Amino acid sequence: MAEKTVEKKKRLTSGSDITNLAKQTCLNMLSDLEKARRPVLEATKCSLDNSFYNPKVGYLTPGDKKVRSELNVSSVQKMSRSVFFMEILLRNIEVGAVNTKRELYYMAKGMCKKDALYKPLDFEDQAESDEIVDFIGEMLEVYREDLNCYANDRGGQTYSQHLVVEETMPNGEKATIDLSALGTSPFQPKNRPQNLKLKAKKKIEFCMVVESEGTANTLVANGFTKRYNNIVIGSGGVPSNAVRSWCKLIQKELDVPMFFFGDLDAYTIQNIYRTLKAGSAASLIRNSDYSAPDIHFLGVLPEDIKKYDLNDYPVKEKDPGEARSLKKAADALKNDPFFADKKNKKLADILRWLVKEKRRCEQQAYFSVDPRDPTMIEKILVEKIRKGNYV
Amino acid sequence: MGFSSGTKAVLTTLKEAVDNSLDACEDAEILPEIQIEIEKISTGSQKNMDQIRVKVVDNGPGLSAEDVPHVYGEYLASSKFGRGRCSRGQQGIGISAATTWAQITNAHGARVITKTAKMKQAFKCEIEVDIKKNVGVIKEKSNINWDREHGVSCEFIFDGRLQLNGDAGILTYLQGTSLVNPHLKLIYKINDDEPVTLERVSDELIQIPEPVAPHPHTMKLGEFLAHGTLFGKATLATFLKTGFSRVNEATFADLSKLGLKKAWLKEPVSSLSQTEMKAVFAAIQEAKLMAPSTRSVLSIGEDALSKSIRRLGEVDFFSVLSRKPTICDAKPVAVEVAIARLKNSKNEFDDPVEVLRFANRVPLQFDKGACAILKSIESINWKSYGLNQPKRSIPTGPYVIAVSVVSPFIKFKNASKETIDASDELVAELRLALMQAGQRLARFVNKEKREFDLEKKRSHIEQFGPILIEGIGRITGAPRTRLDKASDGLLKILGRDEAAAEDALAHATTKQKEMVKKLDQYDEEEFDRSEEDSEEGA
Repeated sequence: MAEKTVEKKKRLTSGSDITNLAKQTCLNMLSDLEKARRPVLEATKCSLDNSFYNPKVGYLTPGDKKVRSELNVSSVQKMSRSVFFMEILLRNIEVGAVNTKRELYYMAKGMCKKDALYKPLDFEDQAESDEIVDFIGEMLEVYREDLNCYANDRGGQTYSQHLVVEETMPNGEKATIDLSALGTSPFQPKNRPQNLKLKAKKKIEFCMVVESEGTANTLVANGFTKRYNNIVIGSGGVPSNAVRSWCKLIQKELDVPMFFFGDLDAYTIQNIYRTLKAGSAASLIRNSDYSAPDIHFLGVLPEDIKKYDLNDYPVKEKDPGEARSLKKAADALKNDPFFADKKNKKLADILRWLVKEKRRCEQQAYFSVDPRDPTMIEKILVEKIRKGNYV
Repeated sequence: MGFSSGTKAVLTTLKEAVDNSLDACEDAEILPEIQIEIEKISTGSQKNMDQIRVKVVDNGPGLSAEDVPHVYGEYLASSKFGRGRCSRGQQGIGISAATTWAQITNAHGARVITKTAKMKQAFKCEIEVDIKKNVGVIKEKSNINWDREHGVSCEFIFDGRLQLNGDAGILTYLQGTSLVNPHLKLIYKINDDEPVTLERVSDELIQIPEPVAPHPHTMKLGEFLAHGTLFGKATLATFLKTGFSRVNEATFADLSKLGLKKAWLKEPVSSLSQTEMKAVFAAIQEAKLMAPSTRSVLSIGEDALSKSIRRLGEVDFFSVLSRKPTICDAKPVAVEVAIARLKNSKNEFDDPVEVLRFANRVPLQFDKGACAILKSIESINWKSYGLNQPKRSIPTGPYVIAVSVVSPFIKFKNASKETIDASDELVAELRLALMQAGQRLARFVNKEKREFDLEKKRSHIEQFGPILIEGIGRITGAPRTRLDKASDGLLKILGRDEAAAEDALAHATTKQKEMVKKLDQYDEEEFDRSEEDSEEGA
């Protein structure tokens, strides 16, 4: 199957582009209906079986598979819901209003309650309305943020003494944020990085994305950002769209070496790190802006356990969550094109080691190396970067 | 073992009394009518127990006064061992255990009234068990006038717990007993509730097949040796030929090839040592024998089950299936299945279906986990028959699945005889029966599903058509004329779907009618056959 990347295709970003495409889609439906032909709505299939990985591109891209919804008595409800939500989203774009998915769910419920005509469309729960919003995004090949539907800006607390962010406000005004002037407060990135421009006051040596926001905070509080010209970001578990797009922006605009520091376990490698580096199957059409392909995995590496005498421990297979992670990792080794590519062989080897040994080691284990030295973890991380001890 | 909990004590006492009544009526060729009274009288003598009264009155032939202490006060007084019949006797402990339990917990044994047709007055007494001597002791005997020609009344007051519903419930037991005994009229009264009468749905007496001699391959060594002691001075050849089915002269030739000394065949059984008898047993297990006869297996029949299943409650639709007796693990077995959807079931859509298990027409109510019946039900994909089913589990919904296994030699998994051993051959036979019953049921479920589909499709057209057209109109700003035209087009498209759904419903209806016709034909054939039989008899 021919590979296709969203980068090759001109992506719609402006509100008027999206409105025009949505109108054209509806006009096509109208024309089909006038001829008593079944209209078809088509969207990119966002799943692993339609994901491709090209190491030169660096992130997961969609194949040719489509989700088709042809009008019939079974699909008429989904199609009506799609047109209904399209109208709400286009109105938001027109007036510049934004909403979360949860808010959109309640707005839809409100309309269904007030107008008897819409009652049959009513949504049982948010999952039903989310499915329609996602379908519209995938159909128009735009990000949910392009439809003014924002997620909670979770994670991504950023610290630096040398980074300056310039934000273009909706009214065109510019706001400049010097991170060194924020005191102990971090900068919180937004979901829509297109409005941000970055500048470095001094050459920045590296950017460190830390899985635990707590550990990121500890590093900064102990002077990491003062001693080094760097950027420290707390990812807060699985990176949100905000964190992913923020990392991409730093990589694109500043071109600094970027490292990920997290736990050594199947969940971190397969879910957190892979998503940050190459995006996810669920966001195939957005991965170009939501992944930082040049990021490296700094640790914890399996060899670090011996080298630094770190405390590791067995995975609790009886814990359903941990058992699920191991199974997902085993599946990823078989089916995920990211791990199948030889460029990521070392990562796949680590994942294979984790699945086989069923052990894990947390990033905080570095604190056991010299408990009396609060900067020991920082020293280890810098030593690893200097010696090229990363994947 | 039947009295290990208060719930079991009530159920075992009731089961033993009802089994005795049914067996007595069937032996005397009387259509059974059984009255049951169960009530909680007060708190029991033990902690967390109530004092329960169970009374069972039947219209059977009655017991003579001499037999009363044997039946109610002796263990194994009328052992059914080795009779080769599909007999009840599920607990294997007899009614005397119920007498003992009442005696231990309430200081009174069984209160019995009995009258045979020959007796002028009924005989009334209380029976206690002399456990050391294994004899029944009569107490407070008297003769009384009784308002019935013949029958037995037995009453027990003992420590127990009254559970009505659920797997171990009294009502579940009564429901099951009425299902597999279509010829039974059952009247029961529980506590202060109004009496409930379940009329018999068949006036035909159950034809108990004649017992056949046991098949050597169905016996264990201990049973074989015990069986041998009954033949004493008869020769080994006579013992093997007359004591077992499927053993003949040709078998003896086989046995000698398998190393059995020919001379032993002429020796009296009593003169053979246990080692020699063990060698005989080993050889005969190796010998090739014809499979046992299936004539000894009793079936309830699809016709009777069809009528009986309606006694479970108001039935939406049902399916019954009676497999021809077959051989599983060298034993004759008949499997019958009844599946019904109940109108007023307490079960919600996602509650597991009610499963009624029977072994030789006795409900099994405990230890269902490892039972062959449950394993077979779980192993079937019920979704293909229109039922909901979570993965590797029993299906859900307001259904009852009743499965009856009848065999003179049922192999149980444990001593409590509540779990049928899940051998591969028996599970395969059960699966066949369940799948065939499922296919019959699917005709009804499919028709209903098609009706629902058609209704859903019709309502979808009415509900969503205008929303879709008006929404497209607002986004595109298209004129009303174009929207009206699109509306016509939409109706044409969805109308085609509706027509397809109507066709599917018509097809499902035809299929269902074909099945009902087949069942009717089956009923007629059964009727014709019984007519022919009665003419031949005349």
